[in-house]
Amino acid sequence: MREGSILFKTLLLSTSQWNVYKHTQDKKKKRRVVGSTIGLVILFIMLMALCISMSIGYGMLGMTKAIPILCALMISLLAFVLTLFKTNGYLFQFKDFDMLMSLPFRESTVAGCKFLCMYVDTLPWFASISLAMLISYGIYAMPGIWVYPVWIILSIFIPIIPMLLASFVGFIIAKISSGFKKNNIVQVILIFAFIIFCFSLRFIIEDLIRDNKIQATLETASKITDEIAGYYYPAKWFSQAIVNGNILSMILLVGITVVLFIILFMIVGHSYMKVNSAMKSHAGLRAYKMTSLKKRSVVASVAFKELRRMLGSTQYLVNGAMGTVLSVLFALVVVIFGMDWIISKVAPGAPLDAYMLQPAIPFIIFFFTGMVATTTASPSLEGKNYWIIKSLPIKMKAVYQGKMLFNMLLNGTATVVAIILVCIASKSSFVDTILSVILGITLCAYSTCWGMVCGINHMNLDWENDVEVIKKGAAVAIYLVPNMIIVMGLIVLSVFLGTRMSHELVSVIFIAASLIIALICYGIVMKLAKKNS
Amino acid sequence: MSEKAMLEIKHYTKSYNGTNKATDDVSLTVMSGDIYGFIGHNGAGKSTTIRAVVGVLDFTEGDIYIDGHSVKNEPMECKKITAYIPDNPDLYENLTGIQYLNFVSDVFSLDADVREERITKYADMFEITSALGDTISSYSHGMKQKVAIISALIHNPKLIVLDEPFVGLDPKATFKLKEVMHELCKEGTAIFFSTHVLDVAEKLCNKVAIIKQGKIVATGTMEEITEGHSLEERFLEAD
Repeated sequence: MREGSILFKTLLLSTSQWNVYKHTQDKKKKRRVVGSTIGLVILFIMLMALCISMSIGYGMLGMTKAIPILCALMISLLAFVLTLFKTNGYLFQFKDFDMLMSLPFRESTVAGCKFLCMYVDTLPWFASISLAMLISYGIYAMPGIWVYPVWIILSIFIPIIPMLLASFVGFIIAKISSGFKKNNIVQVILIFAFIIFCFSLRFIIEDLIRDNKIQATLETASKITDEIAGYYYPAKWFSQAIVNGNILSMILLVGITVVLFIILFMIVGHSYMKVNSAMKSHAGLRAYKMTSLKKRSVVASVAFKELRRMLGSTQYLVNGAMGTVLSVLFALVVVIFGMDWIISKVAPGAPLDAYMLQPAIPFIIFFFTGMVATTTASPSLEGKNYWIIKSLPIKMKAVYQGKMLFNMLLNGTATVVAIILVCIASKSSFVDTILSVILGITLCAYSTCWGMVCGINHMNLDWENDVEVIKKGAAVAIYLVPNMIIVMGLIVLSVFLGTRMSHELVSVIFIAASLIIALICYGIVMKLAKKNS
Repeated sequence: MSEKAMLEIKHYTKSYNGTNKATDDVSLTVMSGDIYGFIGHNGAGKSTTIRAVVGVLDFTEGDIYIDGHSVKNEPMECKKITAYIPDNPDLYENLTGIQYLNFVSDVFSLDADVREERITKYADMFEITSALGDTISSYSHGMKQKVAIISALIHNPKLIVLDEPFVGLDPKATFKLKEVMHELCKEGTAIFFSTHVLDVAEKLCNKVAIIKQGKIVATGTMEEITEGHSLEERFLEAD
């Protein structure tokens, strides 16, 4: 316990931006800390606004009692997904492994503290949801004063169970892959497979509900959330504790969270070093023979270096290529089952058909590929190797162009392939298909350049772990959150405009708009390159 | 002072994928008061052995004992009496030097006055006291190495394991470190370190082991190994 608290405290301090601000003499660094903090606070406020608007809808429709369940489910889902992507970087393959394991800490203590750090790092996101929902619930339900502290305390526990489950999955995947020579690639494949399984699970559950003929009763959003909470007990306990003041539910939520935490880290601790050893140490073949080497341009060489960097990091590969993989998979599903089937699954009962959705195809694909731009993280990922590019006689312009080229090749290619497949499956006209492909490419160009702007402006070279810049970096958050919200809005807008004017015209308008924005962002990147040269 | 086996490596083998052996049947013993040099080419297996000794790397065959405790079965007992200084210390960049040293002192439960006295002693010795309030990210490689050395010394370990400890240190700090190593040996601490600098090994160590392609090719006291020749000559012969 004592060793755990010492380690936990130090791990928190070592990733604390406040500690950097307090002790660094570098004014630029101080400004960066302030800037990142302000950026993150804005994102938290945006998330809170989104949650408040959702729960206001519930309140206005008289479904106030469903707000706690909605809150618990949103936090749980976010916690599960974020952990699944982060667990590899936090629990395994971290830079301070040698230092920590040589000190007298139990393996379970190290793993547990790493988990708790991951929890604390993501807590502000969960707190934003919780606080926003609490405000709405307070306004509409006007509960007793005791509800406020109980809500706050219990919502601290809500994300832990899904995080433990995702960590356990991550541990099992790491354990399986550690037995393979190419454990990095095996791990990535298993993580992708699990994520795709989770996506399918949603449809399986829906089908189960329909088979049970419950559909008729699922007419309101309130009942849907109630139904899901029936499958996920922690959300139900949270709701019962808040709505009915059920003390047993409170005890169950807290007690089971603590017990699961202890059990999980007893299991993980048992083979923690073995798994980490296998993943961190590699034997060389020592059999290389000099052959003819390919000559590349500087830009292509930087792009190739970026590819090698990505293939060498599970964390980077899973997060960076997730959108690419999902976009192509989505397109294949559309080809196999048809767009109408997708509409019936995602938006059952909506007055939509494949033809109406045609102008939105590039945005739907971009929802996946634009989810991640490798350019947001790649400047920071240089980390301690930054000296290499800085000391070489190459202009920053070429470095940034190389990084952007890599993202375009990765996400642009996937975007083009996915759009063509979806357009074929949706029986789009040749002109619509061509315009959709062009729009997809301009959107990718925009995301690449905007990601680069965020990546350069919020570059962080002092990190302990890849995950700090890939998943929780200010650059990634500032790029990702507004981007996703805007894209969802654009999907709706493009469908709406498609009902008012020709699809070709809609595409041309969006191509022009995204091209202008992409060029502006590219201009900013070039300015930054000049400044940083 | 009676000599006691502080580090015993017995038939230690580390293999990857069951076949590719990074180290093969390595055996050696470091007694209390020894300064034991571990020399070999790049990629010979020095760091792999050292990482296994300090409990960072899992291994395939054999066992390693520190003061009679098995690294495999009693890792906590071993780590409590061992200090490790890696060749490229990955310290917490966002902590200040003093925050890091305080963390290590907490881990080893050092009393406030003891930690203050020892940190002051070694920080003054390595001339880093004035920088202890700055974040480690602002340190040079040598300064980080000094902080790692101080963190290893403050809890009075029975065994100190160092991987290329002199890399990045300025001449004065190198001299001070050698002095400290001698002092600690007189008090009965065992020191096991890898190095490429054969002159340093020859002057500093009383025992040495040469590792080549994962196997120990020579081991013994400096006199037994050199037999009137220089260590460099013997090393090249063993090659």
